[in-house]
Amino acid sequence: MKKILIATSFLLAATAAQAGHHEKGEMHSHEGHLHETMVDGKEIVVDPQRFDIFVTGLDNSQIALVSVQGMVCDFCARGIEKTFSKDKSVSKIDVDLASGKVLLAYPAGVKIDLADIKKKILNNGLNATDIQVMRN
Amino acid sequence: MLNSGEQSDNIYWHYTPNINYSIGLDYQQDKVSKEYFPSARLTYLLNRKNTVTSQRNLYVKTGVGLTNSDNHFYALTGDWESRRLFAGFSAKKISGVSYDLFEQSVKIGVAPYLGDYGDFHTWLMIETKKNDLDDKRTTYPVLRLFKSGALVEVAYHKSTDWTAHLMYRF
Repeated sequence: MKKILIATSFLLAATAAQAGHHEKGEMHSHEGHLHETMVDGKEIVVDPQRFDIFVTGLDNSQIALVSVQGMVCDFCARGIEKTFSKDKSVSKIDVDLASGKVLLAYPAGVKIDLADIKKKILNNGLNATDIQVMRN
Repeated sequence: MLNSGEQSDNIYWHYTPNINYSIGLDYQQDKVSKEYFPSARLTYLLNRKNTVTSQRNLYVKTGVGLTNSDNHFYALTGDWESRRLFAGFSAKKISGVSYDLFEQSVKIGVAPYLGDYGDFHTWLMIETKKNDLDDKRTTYPVLRLFKSGALVEVAYHKSTDWTAHLMYRF
């Protein structure tokens, strides 16, 4: 009986913690990827460790997760990084070759121009197929 | 871009105003006669197909000698690459003062490991070339190494000895 009570307490505590986590609108990870379903039903999939490192020290920011096609080598990735590093509104950039994703951090007050992001990617000879914006 | 081969050394600068084309200047020195052959070059992207895991390109290239326009070439080249595999081809018609040459080449490669952005990348490749002047096929291994903007390609064949290709993208 004591064991059942302890197990139930753990289960309730874990459920409560998980609920609190969701209320804050933060991301959660399992099975090696970070998953969060957006309002439009799209699911964000990102390497959780990479995402955690990226958001470290980024308070009150917005993060654009850009899915890029054709980004297969360092030259492509470097072009993307150079282009967005010239954009004064972008405070941090991460290019993930393995997943074909680019993470861009913007201060909370900045209006993110999705068309401009797509254009910049296209000017590098690549295609942005999807952009999702999250708050940190 | 810097090339050193059996017959000549050349250095090539090019500028890419947009993804569709690049313009460049090539400066070649013949190793035997020590003569210089400067030329202007144009590369045009005919077609590109990007997917989540690969990129495919088709280019047309041309160049003309700045001191003698009888020296010129045009070529159709293409490549397909993923992070793991590479395949490319070139068909090139070269015309000189006293000769015409048609050269075809095919190159395939594999990356033995997948590095992340900024890592040291290695490609193990094989290239085969044939031209209609000596009608002889040469096939040789190529080692391609690159990190950030720098690329080094080294090839060896017993008839042509070592060739090196250095490239830096600014």
